[in-house]
Amino acid sequence: MKRIMFVLSILAVFSMLLSACAAPAPEAPVVEEPAAVEEPVVEEPAAVEEPVVEEPAVEEPADETALPRDETLYFNGQQWGAVVCWNPYSSNCNNAMALAQQDNARVPMFETPYLYNMLDGQQYPLLADGPYEWDADTTQVTFKLNPAAKWSDGTPVTAEDVAYTWASHVKYNTQFGAANKDFIDTIEAVDPQTVVVKAVLGEDGKAVNPLIVNAYLSSNYVIQKAWTEALEARTGGEADAFMADVAEDVVYSGPYTKFFSDDQKVVLVRDDNYWGQDPSMFGKLPAPKYLAHVIYKDNAAGTTALQAGEVDVSQQFNSNVQDLWLKDNLPVSTYLPEPPYGIGASLPTAFFNKASYGLDQLAVRKAIAMAVDYDTIIANAMTNQSATFTQVPRSLMNPTPGEQALYDQAAVADLQFAGNDIEGANAMLDAAGIVDTDGDGWREFEGQNLRYVATAPNGWSDWQAAIEVVAAAGANIGIDITTNYPEWSVYQTIVTNWPLPEADFDIFMMWSDGAGPTQPWSRIRHLMSSEFAETENNWNGNWGGYINPEADALITAIPGMTEEADLVDAYTDLVRIYLTDVPSFTLMYRPQSFHTVNESVWTNFPYEGDGTNPPVPPLDMTDGWAIAGLYNLTLVK
Amino acid sequence: MKGYRKYYLNKVLWLLVTAVFAFVLNFALPRLMPGDPVAAIVARLAQGMSSSTGMKVVYEQYAELFGTNKPIMQQFFLYVNNVLHGNFGASFSQFPRPVSDILKSAIWWTIALQFPAIIVGWLIGNTLGALAAYLRKGFDKVLLPVSIFVSNLPAFGMAIILLVIFGVKLKWFPTSGGYGFDLIPEFSWRFIWSVIVHYQLPFWSIVLIAIGGQAIGMRSMSIYELNADYVKYSRFLGIKDRKIIGYVFRNAMLPQITGLALSIGTMVGGALVAEIIFSYPGLGTTLLTAIMGQDYPLISAVTLLITVMVLLANFLIEIIYGLIDPRIKAAQSD
Repeated sequence: MKRIMFVLSILAVFSMLLSACAAPAPEAPVVEEPAAVEEPVVEEPAAVEEPVVEEPAVEEPADETALPRDETLYFNGQQWGAVVCWNPYSSNCNNAMALAQQDNARVPMFETPYLYNMLDGQQYPLLADGPYEWDADTTQVTFKLNPAAKWSDGTPVTAEDVAYTWASHVKYNTQFGAANKDFIDTIEAVDPQTVVVKAVLGEDGKAVNPLIVNAYLSSNYVIQKAWTEALEARTGGEADAFMADVAEDVVYSGPYTKFFSDDQKVVLVRDDNYWGQDPSMFGKLPAPKYLAHVIYKDNAAGTTALQAGEVDVSQQFNSNVQDLWLKDNLPVSTYLPEPPYGIGASLPTAFFNKASYGLDQLAVRKAIAMAVDYDTIIANAMTNQSATFTQVPRSLMNPTPGEQALYDQAAVADLQFAGNDIEGANAMLDAAGIVDTDGDGWREFEGQNLRYVATAPNGWSDWQAAIEVVAAAGANIGIDITTNYPEWSVYQTIVTNWPLPEADFDIFMMWSDGAGPTQPWSRIRHLMSSEFAETENNWNGNWGGYINPEADALITAIPGMTEEADLVDAYTDLVRIYLTDVPSFTLMYRPQSFHTVNESVWTNFPYEGDGTNPPVPPLDMTDGWAIAGLYNLTLVK
Repeated sequence: MKGYRKYYLNKVLWLLVTAVFAFVLNFALPRLMPGDPVAAIVARLAQGMSSSTGMKVVYEQYAELFGTNKPIMQQFFLYVNNVLHGNFGASFSQFPRPVSDILKSAIWWTIALQFPAIIVGWLIGNTLGALAAYLRKGFDKVLLPVSIFVSNLPAFGMAIILLVIFGVKLKWFPTSGGYGFDLIPEFSWRFIWSVIVHYQLPFWSIVLIAIGGQAIGMRSMSIYELNADYVKYSRFLGIKDRKIIGYVFRNAMLPQITGLALSIGTMVGGALVAEIIFSYPGLGTTLLTAIMGQDYPLISAVTLLITVMVLLANFLIEIIYGLIDPRIKAAQSD
């Protein structure tokens, strides 16, 4: 009896354990039962191969379950979380390797008519043939398509595809349609090779904003009309279903397509029928056969993989990246061998909440901005991966030569503070009468102590480090600045809705535009235009609520300007206004994308002075003109 | 067995009441978090665009789709209706991927990691603890301090120590991933071997701590039992030591079984720390990503799963106790 109870206990334990399992383990083979029982009992194979892959891959190598290392280019820093869909009309595919319709559009799978090159500011033809041309009245722009351009199903890319893509964006109110329909009216196919983009006209009969029309040509994919029609048919014309479709069957024109995707990695495989090997385009196929991206949980895991040689191209911020080759002697390199290691493109900015007590006073804003030690920010937060404000004096432009040439530096040189100017800041505050009258160490404005909270999202370590330096500057000039780091999900909801809360968001950090065909105009518009001031659901900019009609007038006028001299004057004026009013201030320069490469398997990545013409930008081999870099890669022998 | 019916009815009633409360909390608590799931999606789109005037439209489209603009009671009833039909809804962060799809792909990695780890830890730990109580002297003097030390190491501490020693310095094991970075999942020996190799470090980081905890518990219970009157009495009667040990450990094991069942119930929550440090795929990281992105359907589904498993495990324990614990049997037949 006792033995039985003992055995029963053990059984009970095991039955509990089994009850926790609902079904067999993942790698259990699925034995396929024959439809009809055959007379001679044929020994069934022990396991029918059931790959976990959803669909069998198109060009799967005969017997391999591994990607050959010398045919695969590995990435990190782009894809976080699993890929959801392959639909170019969707806003939420989370498909970093294939879908990014932006100024430097990502073109391994889908292609745009033109490719933007951030190094020289030009737009080079991809699907197009030759440059685009505006008509004399600036009402429409025309371009031709490359006759060699073909879809993956063999049919040619025609102007009808371009027209239908735009019509669909508007009809289903996709993100891209909504963003551009105030500037682009219609797109028409004059003949199968010629596209005419008609702009929305302003009161003067000219295009409201030709810059944005130009940007559309290098930001947005051309999607096949036939496939779009099939998508419309199967989703019944419903906008939500149209945009949410997973689109596994999408037709593409680029050199790569989906090979494999799950929660841990996504792999693209080269389509050897790619039209771009035509002599009129690249003349050959890109070197790597596979583009693979393992999905890492965080930056640290990605950096470890980079060090181990499991990643070739890294779009992560690797802090102290120079240690990888100076101390660890790894074959890792960046675009520039010396600081700033990359090309600065965007300007992370600290905004002042104009409604905060005392921040409506110019002296307070300017004093704080002058007192911040930017060199420390660049050394600590960016580990020197940014140009300093001595090397590139502050303005509204990024450090690229193209943008720097657009304003007259001499004219505003006296306004370009380099930071850490405690004396100057103190003097300015004293002169404005903002002094410490009650001896507690903090200055007062009209009787009340100046007290601010500087904030950045929690977990964004480089931003947090920068905000810490901003807060430290306050102590040196008698203004009490403390820090607070809410979670990003909370931060974004607060910052994008006016009015900001009364506390905790006096000085806050947000991004600015990077490099693109509409820059620096778009960045300036997002930083200073009153279109966005005091609005809700504001993802554009000017979160501090700055309003200046003089700036607005210039911002409205610039897209219509054609004379270089006029542009330089307008931009110089805007820089002057910005540096005088200080509604916000730049904290550092940040690259468009981080670009670090490990040359243990592949080599001949882009670097400054590599002699490529047009020069290949350091955008991880996939964005805008950087895709040309894939054709130059060779294996390390 | 009439008494048993009352005992079990009582347990079933409590199970149902707890389940209803847990269900309501499952729904309500994630939605009380500050922050806006739609904003998270829109923020992702805002970067890299030169003209983001379409954001408001996108925002409104998603708010409509997710139903976050409906009143909370309406959302609750929709939720209950869906769950009863087995539909957990579509995830916000991976819209339109269904939540059940996400869970299906993540849960197996977690169970495959946690389940053997818990069992192995439990078995080895209890054996060591029982041995320590029985052998005493030198063995016990070593085991107790070591167990206390190991069981109190935080999970992330153990994981990082193993990672640095065995992964980075000695390079015996890989540092991240569920399988080789260059492999595509297939049913082949190479793939399975890769999974096993990648499994080792996360597995041992959980097991070592579990062993420590179980050993201490079992040792204490065994010492208590070994000093009980019936043991001394049986010895005086001349009953063999081995038989007495059988009684002792059976009694000592009862609380350990409770602990085991509860561990299994909560295992679906995932060894979050081990999964993150080793970039191991599983439910823990899914839950973490869901929380960071306010993905209410996914959070609710995962927490519901954990709740249900804990409740079931608890309930099963109570049933089995009723059968194997003679004290309960005795109480019922009064």
